[in-house]
Amino acid sequence: MAIVNLKDKTIQIKIVYYGPGRSGKTTNLEFIHNKLQQNRNQQISNLVSIDTKGDRTLFFDFFPVSLGKINGFDLKLKLYTTPGQVKYEATRRLVLKGVDGLVFVADSLTSRQDANLESFENLKSNLLYHKQSLSDVKLIFQWNKRDIDEKMIPLSPIEEMERLLNSELKVQSFPASATSGMNVLKTVNYISKETVKSVIEKTILNKHKMGN
Amino acid sequence: MNTVIREDTVTKVEKILQDFIEESGATYALITDMGGNPLFTAGEEDFDVDTLAALSAANYATTKEIANLIKEDNFSLLFHRGNNENVHFAKITQDILMIVLFKPFLSLGLLRLKINSLQQKIVSIIGN
Ligand SMILES: Nc1nc2c(ncn2[C@@H]2O[C@H](COP(=O)(O)OP(=O)(O)OP(=O)(O)O)[C@@H](O)[C@H]2O)c(=O)[nH]1
Ligand SMILES: [Mg+2]
Repeated sequence: MAIVNLKDKTIQIKIVYYGPGRSGKTTNLEFIHNKLQQNRNQQISNLVSIDTKGDRTLFFDFFPVSLGKINGFDLKLKLYTTPGQVKYEATRRLVLKGVDGLVFVADSLTSRQDANLESFENLKSNLLYHKQSLSDVKLIFQWNKRDIDEKMIPLSPIEEMERLLNSELKVQSFPASATSGMNVLKTVNYISKETVKSVIEKTILNKHKMGN
Repeated sequence: MNTVIREDTVTKVEKILQDFIEESGATYALITDMGGNPLFTAGEEDFDVDTLAALSAANYATTKEIANLIKEDNFSLLFHRGNNENVHFAKITQDILMIVLFKPFLSLGLLRLKINSLQQKIVSIIGN
């Protein structure tokens, strides 16, 4: 649920990285955070990780980032990951509260295709828990771990992953490698832009909804 | 599902929070939505407000889940005592949460009374 503050002229948007355990959600956020720290003069807030001894996500990773101005409003993005492990259902569900944009990080390993599907079904039911559905949020897919050498570990072809997860929705998707950074920034840029666009259309440009 | 907060709403609520800080001696007050977005603030801070809001919303939601799990309606007091700073969490409405930082020498009981009357004032401005 984006927040538009007409006094401070700010828009806050929540983006959540979802997907099965070990698909690379935390690695995505770490890469983005590192890049921002390197590239900017501006102070970047710390990346907060609530995890098990610095490895598997227990609750979420989080950091806020300012994106500059659009239509005179300061844009603030909040990036979150969810825990992918099935057993962390209770905390995973909570992170989705008020989500505006979703990146579904799917694992390209052939052996993880069932886990991708299960996680995607889980996403839908958890949105429902918050009385939301996929049509209320912006969603894109990331086919992660494309850097892996297929001679070593079998990967599913992108077309097959598209068919499995994206054949009905037909939303944007990017092959990526969160460890090397390939398409990681492209993914976050795309979802931010799309989410901001839809929020602005629904709020600032739509005067009827400005009551409250 | 988006929330647009009008200019006069921000002004009014932040004035209430500011008055509360001056009267109670609390250090800092933050109102956040349950998704972790800061909505209104007052007082001095030397930390990242977005992160405080995100962690507080998560903390509150987790506590509520624990209550559900053990079939408790909700815990009436959500409070952390520190050496330098205490934190008190209070639900204002179904959708928003108030976080107050205050020094340990202040009375928790008095502060809670003030937060209660504050809650009613805020609800009268923003509705339920
Ligand atoms: N080769 C390769 N390895 C990756 C890639 N992305 C992540 N990994 C590795 O996969 C493992 C899991 O990555 P995480 O980012 O922790 O996965 P996660 O999705 O956050 O996992 P949970 O927190 O358990 O849900 C780590 O060892 C990463 O280094 C990738 O693009 N390529
Ligand atoms: Mg993780």
